[in-house]
Amino acid sequence: MKQRYEALTRDLDWEPSYVAKSDVFPHTEFEGIKIHDWSKWEDPFRLTVDAYTKYQAEKDKRLYAVLDGFAQSQGHLTLTEASYLNAMKLFLQGVTPLEYQAHRNFAYLARHLNGPGPRFAALCQSIDEMRHTQTEIHTLSNYNKYYGGFHNYLEQHDRVWYLSVPKSFFDDALTAGPFEFLIAIGFSFEYLLTNLLFVPFMSGASFNGDLPTMTFGFSAQSDESRHMTLGLEAIKFLLEQDEANVPIVQAWIDKWFWRGYRVTALVAQMLDYMLPRKVMSWKEAFELYFEEQMLGGLFQDLAFYGITPPKHVDDAIAEKEILSHQVYWTLYQFSHAAAFTTTFPDADAQTWLAENYPGTFDKLYKPLWDKEARNLENGGRHFVRGLPQLCQVCQIPMLFTEPDDPTTLCQRESVHNGEKFQTCSNGCQWIFEREPEKYVQAWLPVHQIYQGNCGGPTVPDVLAWYGIQEGDGGEYKGSVDDTNWKSWHNAADHSHIGSEA
Amino acid sequence: MTVRSIGAYDFPSRSRQELYGDDQLVHLWFQENPWFCASACFRAPKAMTWGDFWNALVVPFAEEDPDFDPEARRVFTLHGAQFEPRDDQTLEEIGVEHKDVIGMRVLV
Repeated sequence: MKQRYEALTRDLDWEPSYVAKSDVFPHTEFEGIKIHDWSKWEDPFRLTVDAYTKYQAEKDKRLYAVLDGFAQSQGHLTLTEASYLNAMKLFLQGVTPLEYQAHRNFAYLARHLNGPGPRFAALCQSIDEMRHTQTEIHTLSNYNKYYGGFHNYLEQHDRVWYLSVPKSFFDDALTAGPFEFLIAIGFSFEYLLTNLLFVPFMSGASFNGDLPTMTFGFSAQSDESRHMTLGLEAIKFLLEQDEANVPIVQAWIDKWFWRGYRVTALVAQMLDYMLPRKVMSWKEAFELYFEEQMLGGLFQDLAFYGITPPKHVDDAIAEKEILSHQVYWTLYQFSHAAAFTTTFPDADAQTWLAENYPGTFDKLYKPLWDKEARNLENGGRHFVRGLPQLCQVCQIPMLFTEPDDPTTLCQRESVHNGEKFQTCSNGCQWIFEREPEKYVQAWLPVHQIYQGNCGGPTVPDVLAWYGIQEGDGGEYKGSVDDTNWKSWHNAADHSHIGSEA
Repeated sequence: MTVRSIGAYDFPSRSRQELYGDDQLVHLWFQENPWFCASACFRAPKAMTWGDFWNALVVPFAEEDPDFDPEARRVFTLHGAQFEPRDDQTLEEIGVEHKDVIGMRVLV
C-alpha cells in the first residue's frame, strides 16, 4: 500500500531542469520560513485519489438518502422549533462560504508548496472543502422552501455587518503567505478551535431534530479529523525544519488563536441563546474543548518545540462567563438588520442561564432583560436606532469589556500615519499594531455605510442592498417563521405547507 | 513589525477622513449604561455645533433607552480629559477629530 501510494502521489514529482526551483515555487520564501528537506513531511493519511473518491461517494450516497427522506416526510416539522433554524442561518451565511474560500486556498497550496507530500495533502483537503460547501448548501436548501433567512447567503456573506466578522477573518488568512495560512486555517481553525467552531453547530442539530445537518456533520467528521491531523503535521513539520521557524510560528499562533477565538463569539451566543434545546453551555464547551484538551493536552506536547500557549489566552479564559451574554444582547438589539431573528429569553431559558452562569447572569445580565421586559410591556422592543463602533481587526461591534471589569467597555486606540484606529481588546490591538498596513484596509461595514457604499443612507436602503426581505430578521415572536410554524402545527390539514405567500 | 509580503505593500486606509468630505466619524460612549451594547458611531460635519450634534444625532439615538433623560447632568470626556461643551461650539472647536471617542457619563 505504501509503495502504491508513493507511486501514485510523490513519484509524480520531478526536479526542474531548465528553470530555477525558486521560479517554480516563488511564494515559499518571503515569510522567512526555512525548509531544508520537504521529504520529511509525513502524510497523515495515505489516500490515493482513487480510494478517496470512492470513499467520499459512499458518504455522499448516505447523506443524500437522508436529505431525500427528510424532505419527502416534511421532516422540518419535527424540529424543536422554527427558531432553532437561526443557528443554521448563521451557519449557512457565515461558515459555508468559508468552506469555499478554504477550497480555493488549499488548491493554491496544492500548486505552490515545494514538496509533493504537502501538495497532495492540500489537494485532498481542497476537494474536501468544495464537497463540504456543496453538501452544506444541499443540506440546508430544503429549509429555504419554508423559512426566511436562507435565500441570499452568498451575497450577504460579502455585505452584511455581522458576516464581515467571519469573512474578514478568512480574508486575513487568504491574503497571508502559504505557511501563515497553514497555521491560521490548518492549525488554529481546524485543530485548535474546531471543537468550538464547527462541532457546536452539529451537536445543536442533533439535539434539535435536524437530522440532515447532523448527517452532514457525520459525513464531514472523517474529513475534519484528517484536516486536524494535517494541521498538526504542518506545525510539527515547520518547527522541526529549523529553529528559526519557532518564533515566526509562535507569533502566528498568538495572532490566529485570538482571530479565531473572536469568531467563536458568534458560536457562544448560539449555544447559550439560539438553541431551543441546549447542548451544553459555552463555558462548559470552552473548558472542555479548549482549556482541557488544548491547553492541557496539545500545548503540553508543543512545549517540546519551545511553543507556549497563545498570547492573550488569559483574556479569553476571563471572558468565558460573560462572552455569550454580551454577544447575544448585541445581536438582540441589532437583529432588525440581520438575516436571522432573536427574541427575549423566557423564564425557563433565564433559569438555565442562571444555573450555568451562577457568577454572572443574575448579577450582570438579568437586570438588562428585566428592563427589556418592562420595555416590552410598554410596547417597546429594543432595536438600536443607529450604528455601532466596530473593532478595526475583528470587526465585531465594540461590545467587549475590560478583562478585569465586566461593566466597563474595553476601548483600545492606536495611531498609524496620523489616523486613529480603535480595537476591542488587548488581543486585537496587538494584532493591529503588528501589521497596521494590513488592517487599515479593513472594509468596516459601518464606515462603508457612512461612505455611501451600501445602497443608500437609510436602514431600508441598506437592508435592500443586503438582500434582506420581510421575515428574514427582527423579532422572532410574531415573525413569518413563527406564524407559519404555529399554523402548520395547529392545523389538522397540512396540505398548505410551503404554499404560504 | 510590518507585513511580510512578496512585493511593495502600501495601501491607503479605507476609513480615512478625506473619504467623508467635510464630515468625520464621531463615537459616543454611553459609560456605565449597558443598555447600549457598544459605543455609537455617527457621521457628523466638523462644523456642526454641539447643540445640533446633541439634538439631531444623540437624542434620537439615545431616547430608545426608556430611562434616557436628556436633561440629566453629564460628564463628557475627550482624549482622557473632561470637557464642558457649549451648544454653540462646533465639534472642531471642541477638539473632536475623526474617529474620536467621546465619553459620556450621567451624574447620579
